[in-house]
Amino acid sequence: MRRALTATVAAAALAVPAGNAAATALAQSKPKAKPKRRVVTVTKRVAGSEVYAGRWGPLRVTLVVKRITTIVGAHRTVKRTIVGLDVPVYPDHTDRSVFINQQALPLLEQEALQAHYSPNVDLISGATDTSMAFVESLQSALLKARSI
Amino acid sequence: MSTLPGLRRVEHVMGMPVVADLRDEDLGEDVLEEVFDWLRWVDATFSTYREDSEISRLNRGELGLAGARPEVREVLARCEELREETDGFFDARAASPDLLDPSGFVKGWAVDCAAAILEAAGARNYALSAGGDMRLRGRAAPAWCWRVGIQHPLLRDAVAKVIETRDLAVATSGAYARGPHVIDPHSRRPPSGILSVTVTGPDLGAADAYATAAFAMGGGRAPHWTARLRGYEALLVLADGRVLSTPGFPASSSAASPNVRPGTGVP
Repeated sequence: MRRALTATVAAAALAVPAGNAAATALAQSKPKAKPKRRVVTVTKRVAGSEVYAGRWGPLRVTLVVKRITTIVGAHRTVKRTIVGLDVPVYPDHTDRSVFINQQALPLLEQEALQAHYSPNVDLISGATDTSMAFVESLQSALLKARSI
Repeated sequence: MSTLPGLRRVEHVMGMPVVADLRDEDLGEDVLEEVFDWLRWVDATFSTYREDSEISRLNRGELGLAGARPEVREVLARCEELREETDGFFDARAASPDLLDPSGFVKGWAVDCAAAILEAAGARNYALSAGGDMRLRGRAAPAWCWRVGIQHPLLRDAVAKVIETRDLAVATSGAYARGPHVIDPHSRRPPSGILSVTVTGPDLGAADAYATAAFAMGGGRAPHWTARLRGYEALLVLADGRVLSTPGFPASSSAASPNVRPGTGVP
């Protein structure tokens, strides 16, 4: 249940691009008794728990929360504001993959690298930048050979 | 052995040798002119080595995207789609965020368009190859398919595999003797653990971009990513000597004894 709740919170936070826009203010105010005031500001980074978003992988949200405590005599007013939002662990589109990959990898066929010399081929596929001279040379030779 | 039917031409264009090998009987030379005229136009429009190309003018800020030719906008839009599809590993801005260089896609795309020119002229059996990436169509001769050798990444005069195919695009990306050319756009370093990637499929522009992206991913990530390709097949040569291929990668019926074509007796 807690996990699901965290996911909901994380999703809600993610839905708003800027943390500031989603600023949550938890304020308790009481009437001022005396004019003497003291303000204490603390900024903290708060990490949410890592949530597994189904097959999409884990997700974690951290918030930067600024807490302003205003003390007037025996009364204190606490105001908290979200000033930043970060997603240090997110369901990487690629690593959705963790799930799919584990199924996909055995699908690949594996063999050892072989070398075939003077194969009877029409064309050679190779990396342009590096094997160009070789390809060009071999290609023209192949064309000549076939027109004789 | 009689001379093969059709027309053949090799020209250096777009900074690489381009081979047009037409095996249909009754085609006029003018279709070859049309193909190479097109490729020269592509070079003049897209080359980053030409000061007056549209890409160079875009990079210097002299030209806005809205004022660019529709072909340029089409290519840049496809590059962006491919960047997203490849998780950013194919990136027309891989070299620098300020410089557009769509050449990695342009070559294959230009060959795809050239193939359309050939089709319109009635060609049904041909190979078009630009610097080692190619489109094949029909048959090399009535009795045999096109045979394509995949360059061995470590031995200059050998191929790692021979495939036989019809109607397919084949693109290879790799780093051979002269060192790495492709960089991982994320780490800005050459990829590791992988020697070459060959991708086959219906479209050479995409196959080329996928091969470049998979190679940039390196040996750890590329197998997983290529295993998920749809409509395209891949063969990866890893640095540890393993060769991985997707189940649909085209096979050769006679890779072990490829020196004689069945029924021809020609070496």
